[in-house]
Amino acid sequence: MNPMKIVVVFKWLKNPEDARVGSDGSVDWRGAKMAVSDDDPAAIQVARNLAAAGGEIVGLTIGDGDAAWAAARGASSTVIVTDAQSNADAAATGAVLAAGVRRIGDADIVLIGDSAWDYGVSVALASQLGWTALAGVSSATMDGDRLRATRKFGDSTQAIEVARPAVLAVFASRAEQDAPGMKEVLAGRKKPQIKLTLADLGLTPADRVILRGTKLPDTTAARIIDGADPAAAAAQMVTALRAEGVL
Amino acid sequence: MNMESWIIATDTARLGGILTAARQLGGHVTAAVVGPRSLADAVAAAGPDHVRWYACRDGAPPEAYASQVAEAVQKAAPRVVLSSTASAGRVLLGAAAAKLGAAVVSSVQALAVEGDIVKVSRAAAQGKVVETLDAAGTVACVFDGEDVAPAASQPATVEEVPAADPGDSLRVVETTPDSGGSAGLRTAARVVSAGLGIRAKGDLTLIQDLAAALGAEIACSLPVCDDMRWYGPERVVGRSHNQIAPDLYIAVGISGQPQHTVGVRDAKVVVVINNDPKAAFFKICDYGILGDLYKVVPALTAALKQVE
Repeated sequence: MNPMKIVVVFKWLKNPEDARVGSDGSVDWRGAKMAVSDDDPAAIQVARNLAAAGGEIVGLTIGDGDAAWAAARGASSTVIVTDAQSNADAAATGAVLAAGVRRIGDADIVLIGDSAWDYGVSVALASQLGWTALAGVSSATMDGDRLRATRKFGDSTQAIEVARPAVLAVFASRAEQDAPGMKEVLAGRKKPQIKLTLADLGLTPADRVILRGTKLPDTTAARIIDGADPAAAAAQMVTALRAEGVL
Repeated sequence: MNMESWIIATDTARLGGILTAARQLGGHVTAAVVGPRSLADAVAAAGPDHVRWYACRDGAPPEAYASQVAEAVQKAAPRVVLSSTASAGRVLLGAAAAKLGAAVVSSVQALAVEGDIVKVSRAAAQGKVVETLDAAGTVACVFDGEDVAPAASQPATVEEVPAADPGDSLRVVETTPDSGGSAGLRTAARVVSAGLGIRAKGDLTLIQDLAAALGAEIACSLPVCDDMRWYGPERVVGRSHNQIAPDLYIAVGISGQPQHTVGVRDAKVVVVINNDPKAAFFKICDYGILGDLYKVVPALTAALKQVE
């Protein structure tokens, strides 16, 4: 069998932790950069496991931020769509990523972190490629020539054989385990980067949804009790839980 | 104007909430159910106008029906398509959206209609704000809002759709039931959960005493299982393990990584005990005690014993 080409899509959203929210419910995203999500390391880990059987990993990302992230973790090259923004319409982001995958060409498997930051992007990417897709995948292996993915389904875990080409959207179960050291990070920066624009991909951004405004959610903020005096804090806590009717 | 909607269901997660959102549009609500007959009946009981049921062939996961469900949705041409965040349902939703050329919006909490515009409310910036988005055209929504009990209504009739052969691009080769049930964690009313803030295995007596005082089940974060091996995976709470909805969840020494907290999203009251004021869990809990768990937990256990 020919060596596989595995595309890992990473850093496709702005880090929501960097969004500054005003007391009036307004949001300032200016300080927010494109960032990898908690699930991106899991996606590239799955890619590395699959590539170990003979394969090449190509990174694909959009916008600003650390474009060498995948290269530091085993990608041999990275394609960056530099002027693409994350979009409230996940189908728009999915279209850019799908165009990037097509430009890379001949991919057998596309892996993407299935981030709760936006649960629409992974499935929009898959459907715009028109490939077989599974979301919520925890691991994948090659069984001879066959791709086998594991995912949670209800109260069970399923192993599913997946025909290629396929898109697997990966759930992390934990934080990244072996982050690359300085040596890998520096080596990653030297690997080839191919910078494209939306125009290069023949795309014109279309706003099918328009942001009309933001407000604070209706939920009340947590009540934080100072635990410096443990007995007093415990008494307050018990009173509060009784009032909630959960004791 | 077209305000019809389709709900794509591969399980019953947040079905009441999804149906309530669809009803805000005022149009006919069709549910496409992919799975066993019992699921189709459960969806029908929640009260959409019509249920189209696709029975999965042995060994074919719901995703294997993505293209034929998408074609049915395209033919019906609804204004809005909805699914839950369930992995299988989302894949089907994405396929339908691509066929319809629809926008895809995630973290959707509510829908409304204003003239010919569908107004979509959705959580953004990790739930710190709610965005209002206007959709002039077709929109596919990954619903992640509040679940509500569906309004009592006549169950819809279930129409079995003669499904085409799904092919063999996806084939379930093994299904392993999770071992979660044994600890009684999934149905427990109260849960005390241990994180890496606990320094040694022997200190778990703090957790056990608190759980005993509450009549609670014990749970833990993933590192407590995977790295420390203090508890087995059947006690791990999080997206990859047990998702639970107790009345009371007390997280002791857990920082609150999203992979963990999503597992207790539906808990009624979440209490966080941590000495790190920056712990992410403090932002999404109901009550927090900022302090040393080694002092706070015994004090809380003592206070609870006094009450009981």
